[in-house]
Amino acid sequence: MAEIVLTLGVPHTPLLWGLTKPPIPDDLTGVVAEYARFRTMLTEARPDAIVLVAADHFRQLMTANMPAFLIGKAPQMRGTHPNEEREFGIPPANVSGDPELARLLLGHHELPTSFDFSFSDEPWLDHAFMVPLLYLTPDLDVPVVPVYTNCNAPPLPSASRFADLGGYLRTTINGSALDRRVAVVASGHLAYELGGPRQFLGESPDAVFDDLAVSWMASGNLDGAVAGCGFNRLNDAGNLTFQVLNFITALGAAGGRPATRATGVACRFGNEPFFAWEEGRE
Amino acid sequence: MSRYMLNKLLWEVESDNEHLASFKQDPAGFVASWELMAATPQPPYPVGGTLTAEERQACITVDYAALYSMGAHPYLLWHFIRAVLVPDLMTVEELSDALKQAVAPLDRPGFTT
Repeated sequence: MAEIVLTLGVPHTPLLWGLTKPPIPDDLTGVVAEYARFRTMLTEARPDAIVLVAADHFRQLMTANMPAFLIGKAPQMRGTHPNEEREFGIPPANVSGDPELARLLLGHHELPTSFDFSFSDEPWLDHAFMVPLLYLTPDLDVPVVPVYTNCNAPPLPSASRFADLGGYLRTTINGSALDRRVAVVASGHLAYELGGPRQFLGESPDAVFDDLAVSWMASGNLDGAVAGCGFNRLNDAGNLTFQVLNFITALGAAGGRPATRATGVACRFGNEPFFAWEEGRE
Repeated sequence: MSRYMLNKLLWEVESDNEHLASFKQDPAGFVASWELMAATPQPPYPVGGTLTAEERQACITVDYAALYSMGAHPYLLWHFIRAVLVPDLMTVEELSDALKQAVAPLDRPGFTT
């Protein structure tokens, strides 16, 4: 029987990777410590595969063809685009996929009635996928099923669809006869802005929103999260805040229960999100 | 349609190291040759498109306030100007401060594609 053994929500701010090498700047030690804690959690959960929910940042996907939700079903994938290696110093890598698990999520021959997924046989993972993987599985030794969500190119799916996606992942994985221990990892931001007047403030552009988002995860308030993540509210919090929607998927995948750990770690990039739903723990 | 072509140009300059080098060497020449190619329908892009005169000028001069006002996608905008201007002409911090100062007085334009 397949089962979700752990659900996480983590940040992927691309500049983190280059900056968190010794000597680690004082303001980033908290982020490094939290990522180390989450790596331990993931290791102890012994997943056979990671379902990684993240948004492409116009690296592979452009608006000539922009899917709302896309599942990668390739056995091998490239990680990191040349411009990300150039700008962020993130290393290129090869990542193993899990086509069998991907096909389960896609419904094999016929898509599930609840989701019209797109799919890809040639996904190329950008920093939203690679930064979490490099921190959580530095040897890249756990196969990955990438679930791309459009959080960057409006029109976006609504918050309720992100919640539905989480519920779908939980129901489908936990109801399957496939022999898999699965970790669901959502990659995103709290309030965040780039290419606008509130970028690089040295703090969050909207700490009030961040506190709310952390409280939704900590209390398992899926309805509150959906109601509080309308397009205009997220845009008001910062023009890249839409990636908080992936944490709604994580909350849904965890069955809408309170997170066992939920925090926004303050650093120069704002409040970096760390959410965990450990199985068998309150 | 036009906002799409604007974003597409920013994207294609930033995401391709050869395009980036060509643009930095001769912005007007790169944009002219890119527009010629972009206007020609070819698989898998069956329509092609052009930039307006204002968009063309804003791209060539890397006028980030104008690009922002036109509703260029902010993520593409930032990575375009960073790739083109840093480190040759300024640091990331200097560019960030300049961008913020330039766009702060402007209305916040929509960037829905």
